Amino acid sequence: MLILNHLWIIPLLPLLGAAINGLSGLFGAKWPNKAVTAVAIGSTGLSFLAALECVREFLNLPAAQQALPWVKQYFTWIAAGTFRAGFDLQIDHLTIVMLLVVTGVGWLIHIYATGYMSHEGGYYRFFSYLNLFMFFMLILVMAANYVLLFVGWEGVGLASYLLIGFYFLKKSASDAGKKAFIVNRIGDFGFMLGMFLLFRTFGSLDFVTVFDKTRELPADALGQFGILTISCLLLFMGATGKSAQLPLYVWLPDAMEGPTPVSALIHAATMVTAGVYVVARSHILFTHAPTAMLVVASVGAATAFFAATIGLVQTDIKKILAYSTVSQLGYMFLACGVGAFSAGIFHLMTHAFFKALLFLAAGSVIHAMGGEQEVTRMGGLSGKIRWTYFTMLMGTLAIAGAPGFAGFFSKDAILFSAFQHAPGGRILYAVGLASALMTAFYMFRLIFLTFHGKPRFDEHHVHVHESPKSMLGPLVVLALLSIIGGWMAAPSFWGGTDHFTAFLAPVFGAEAAPEAATAAVSEAAEHSLELTLAGVAVATAFLGFFLAFWLYLRRPGVADQIAKSAKGAYTTLLNKYYVDELYAAVIIRPLVWISDNVLWRAVDASGIDGAVNGAAAGTTALGDRLRRAHSGNTRSYAVWVVIGALLILAVIFWPMLKPAAGMVP
Amino acid sequence: MFPPREEFLRVLPILIFCGGGTLLMLLQPFLRSRTAFSLLALAGSLTAVVSVGCSAAHPGAAFYGLIGSDPASVFFEFLVGAVAFLVILGSASYLERESLAPAEFYALIFFAAAGMCVLASAREMLTAFIGLEMSSISSYILAGYRRESPKAAESALKYFLLGSFATAFFLYGIALLYGSTGTTVIAQMTPLAPGLLPKLGLALLLIGLSFKVAAAPFQLWTPDVYEGAPTPVTALFSAGPKAATFALLLRIFVEMPLAAGEWTRIFWILAVITMFAGNLGALLQTNVKRILAYSSIAHAGYILVAFAASNEIGVAAVLFYLLAYAAAKLGAFSVVAHLGGAGEKRIELDDFAGLAQRQPIAAAAFSLFLLSLLGIPVTAGFFGKFYIFKAALASHLIGLAVLLGVNSVIAAYYYLRLIIVMYMREPKEETAALPFPGAVTTVLALCALATVYFGLFPNHIIAFASNPRLFGH
Amino acid sequence: MTPQLIVFFVLAALAVLGAVTLIAARHPIHSALALIVVMVALAGLYLLQGAEFVAAVQIIVYGGAIMVLFVFVIMLLNAGEEERTSLSRIARVAGIPLALALSGFLAAAVLRSSHAAAQAPVTAASTRGLSMLLFREFVFPFELTSFLILVAILGALVLAQREN
Repeated sequence: MLILNHLWIIPLLPLLGAAINGLSGLFGAKWPNKAVTAVAIGSTGLSFLAALECVREFLNLPAAQQALPWVKQYFTWIAAGTFRAGFDLQIDHLTIVMLLVVTGVGWLIHIYATGYMSHEGGYYRFFSYLNLFMFFMLILVMAANYVLLFVGWEGVGLASYLLIGFYFLKKSASDAGKKAFIVNRIGDFGFMLGMFLLFRTFGSLDFVTVFDKTRELPADALGQFGILTISCLLLFMGATGKSAQLPLYVWLPDAMEGPTPVSALIHAATMVTAGVYVVARSHILFTHAPTAMLVVASVGAATAFFAATIGLVQTDIKKILAYSTVSQLGYMFLACGVGAFSAGIFHLMTHAFFKALLFLAAGSVIHAMGGEQEVTRMGGLSGKIRWTYFTMLMGTLAIAGAPGFAGFFSKDAILFSAFQHAPGGRILYAVGLASALMTAFYMFRLIFLTFHGKPRFDEHHVHVHESPKSMLGPLVVLALLSIIGGWMAAPSFWGGTDHFTAFLAPVFGAEAAPEAATAAVSEAAEHSLELTLAGVAVATAFLGFFLAFWLYLRRPGVADQIAKSAKGAYTTLLNKYYVDELYAAVIIRPLVWISDNVLWRAVDASGIDGAVNGAAAGTTALGDRLRRAHSGNTRSYAVWVVIGALLILAVIFWPMLKPAAGMVP
Repeated sequence: MFPPREEFLRVLPILIFCGGGTLLMLLQPFLRSRTAFSLLALAGSLTAVVSVGCSAAHPGAAFYGLIGSDPASVFFEFLVGAVAFLVILGSASYLERESLAPAEFYALIFFAAAGMCVLASAREMLTAFIGLEMSSISSYILAGYRRESPKAAESALKYFLLGSFATAFFLYGIALLYGSTGTTVIAQMTPLAPGLLPKLGLALLLIGLSFKVAAAPFQLWTPDVYEGAPTPVTALFSAGPKAATFALLLRIFVEMPLAAGEWTRIFWILAVITMFAGNLGALLQTNVKRILAYSSIAHAGYILVAFAASNEIGVAAVLFYLLAYAAAKLGAFSVVAHLGGAGEKRIELDDFAGLAQRQPIAAAAFSLFLLSLLGIPVTAGFFGKFYIFKAALASHLIGLAVLLGVNSVIAAYYYLRLIIVMYMREPKEETAALPFPGAVTTVLALCALATVYFGLFPNHIIAFASNPRLFGH
Repeated sequence: MTPQLIVFFVLAALAVLGAVTLIAARHPIHSALALIVVMVALAGLYLLQGAEFVAAVQIIVYGGAIMVLFVFVIMLLNAGEEERTSLSRIARVAGIPLALALSGFLAAAVLRSSHAAAQAPVTAASTRGLSMLLFREFVFPFELTSFLILVAILGALVLAQREN
């Protein structure tokens, strides 16, 4: 019970690591990279071990105790009137999954990063940010109330912002960091409103209290915008920001400006899934708000499809993976939206494996190519960097849904749930299936362009070399996980049992049951349906593979011809539907215009500058100063004061003057 | 007839500030050493801060009920005293660098602080008016304290002319209120007869005070004055008079029987215009002092949101916000005051490029203050916004809360721009680091400590400010 | 119309006229003289209200001492006629109408108020009443005022001081 009683140890370890590495740099004492490495890897590794021990202790508890979240209250943080929010951590089955993914995958990526970043400047700074991120992410997944969760939520945003802008000399990097931060603020704002609404409804923000009280409430009807539905929609607004869903996804592709390990850890495996986690965590609220569920499912499916189409034509290896991440996150929301929360979390986990793998392998490719990121300038690398090629292929098979690989099981579970879902299930399924086809296509396109065919770069100048062991080790581990990670939830027709859903049953239990209840009607029919859908999915994946194979290996010219003949569609996709341009035109430019023309020109530019420029050289005689004040501004300022006074008087007296005037006959 | 001893104890901070200011003035011809004046001023302001405890220990009215001590006055007197102390602590090296006379400077800060304390504890309008004028006139002079700088001279004069204009509104308001209620004691102002007059008086009062807190559209003087004034004075302006004026506004709207209801619409409009004017105005500024000036306009707007909510959480939120805001703004301006260099020539955005490499601690502290102003969790600014938000929602002002959120998104842009410049841009030319003197470092450390401490444990203040007898008699 | 009312209107008109001239005049001396007219008119209004002491103080202090000081300062600085430099457009176009609107607003509001409101208790009119108020109930703000004046003197010193 060592860790279970002292849950704070798990997040505290990375924080210590961040503090030690950060302070070492701050006070000028540049530590050798080895010491930084030891602190960074040691603290996250210990945190991972602590998490494992914590899981062991929790699973040893009696079953009755496991059915409830294990909450530890450390100290009261905010108390105002009836409101209390404490530094409370909790462990339950959902947290366990997240905890293991965050610390486990996080640790692997830390190890990888020691190799990847070894030649970069600011080594200590990088690891101190990375550890800081781990701290906030652990707070996020272990929080026992919305307030603390929000602290982690904002904290990971901050760390992500720091890490995206890590190559701060690149303007695009610092711009991307800023974009990520501001877009997320929009989502966060919705999240905060949602929190307040929950507090107003339930008088508490503790998960246990809120969910217990929700259970007693009647669910909103579909199409009804009750308080629960609105709260859920606001929370989901936060999730769309953090998890890069329509319409707030725009920051994630730009976030690829950060170092590749950051993309793997934050923008694939952990942080971006926080939105999914929040929706799953609040599943009781969401199941009471069918309208919100429908919105979640629709936004998820739409994002999955939309991002996949953009992914088809991108040529930057990391951008392809970024759009693929957006698309896969869409799948997770689709799962949550149709009530298959455990399938969503399952996909979250397998995605963490294979997407982290893909990013790390991509990093290895970039490393091997000496910084090249364009797949159009690669090719034929399979023989030169065998380990990278092999592991990346495993990741690709997993994400494309090749039978037996991790992604096959998780994606299948989602599509199956979507298919069975009552309102609009078939449409969601069709959209999901189309996205799966495109996923297989663009992933194999990536593989073929990168590793097969003839080299399209100057072999004399680019010295292709395999990455060091510190980078390949994590790749191999993640590749193994991508292969076997799905087996813990093998469906019954496959001859397995769904351990994963059973494991999460204490959390999602009753909410996941309706699915099972309808299924009980005819188990045989169920099986055959499941088998059919699985067959369709495999066929789709194969179709995607074949198309990529044909277009990029067999007939390399055809792809270009298609691009040329459908030029409009192609450029639209290449320019990501012009969404960035649209946002710039609709939101950013008007703001700048107002600031520039209304506030700057009309009011400010005539401020100090004009008056001083117009004045004679400054002497201190009183008369001179008096004259200067006559030069206009002061009067126009006074005019504004009068306008304001009139405004206030008018607002106060308007309602009173009108009836008074009416009384006079 | 002589008032009893307790009555003097109740207003002790005011007496100490007045006496200290006079003493500093009188010593000017006899003492030559800068250090002596700085130490005297520090000791004096520290005594005043400590004496707030004395006035807290003797709650109640003093001098025929015109002034008094209650939890709210104690809070604001402490805040004003602490701000004065920190400004004095931070300005010794500044005065020496700019070769400005210390005695008058400190004396004026003392008188300004005395005026603010009067504002915070006055229970009667004429007394409040004298307090307002004491703090304003000292401010006008302080704004022009760098006499050889034309910018400073202009800003002082502008401030004086427009401030007097606003004072006229305030005074007219008092006159109308007196005429229609027969008293100037805030808590007793009940209209003698129905009619528009008392409301009109209150409206004029509000106009005068809106000018002082830099609420739009009365805010236009702010950037010019903040830019022209010596930066330690700017720090004082942004933290002190604003807090004291809001204290009076709170007292009026909590205590005055007239002021119930109806004003939500006014505060709603003022808050929205002020937030947008501040945040949009700051977007394209390149002078750091001006950016911070616009940001303080925006913050006045956020505080006005709590006024629009006009509920108990709102009152507590105002107190907490002013504290959090004072810590962050004082810290930020102290950094700028020092880094501006001789003649304050280096206060453009570009001058802050690469600060993180040159002076990592200063850059980290500045970023902390900016993040607090932006309202990021684990800083005091977050809880400030949090409680204001809560207050707005508790009064069903959903629209206003939404606009508050929109504004904090806009604000993120210019705060982050500053941080980005410090951390992520190379300086245009080779710049030497300007190591901070011990006193300024102490100011930064205290401000940073307050920012983080109240970001972690906002409870003490909120519990204190939720006292139902905050404005007790 | 009672004779008192007629005197009131005459004095009030004089005060307003003086104030307008004060603003409009170009030469500072003219402005100062106009200010004297305002002060004297106000003193008359005080007298009309039965506040002899205030009226006398108004004439002695404002109309006499302070105005002499003003005129002296203007002479010493040798301030010439005001130069009308770039008047802000917004001030010229909007200033006068806005000022009129504001006064119209205030006047309308005062007119619409009931007359009962105007009967605030008048206790301070006599010399004795005034001194009782100033030195007993209002002794605190009264003493504070001395500090206020001190600040103003200090300010004049600070701003007018030449570099040494």
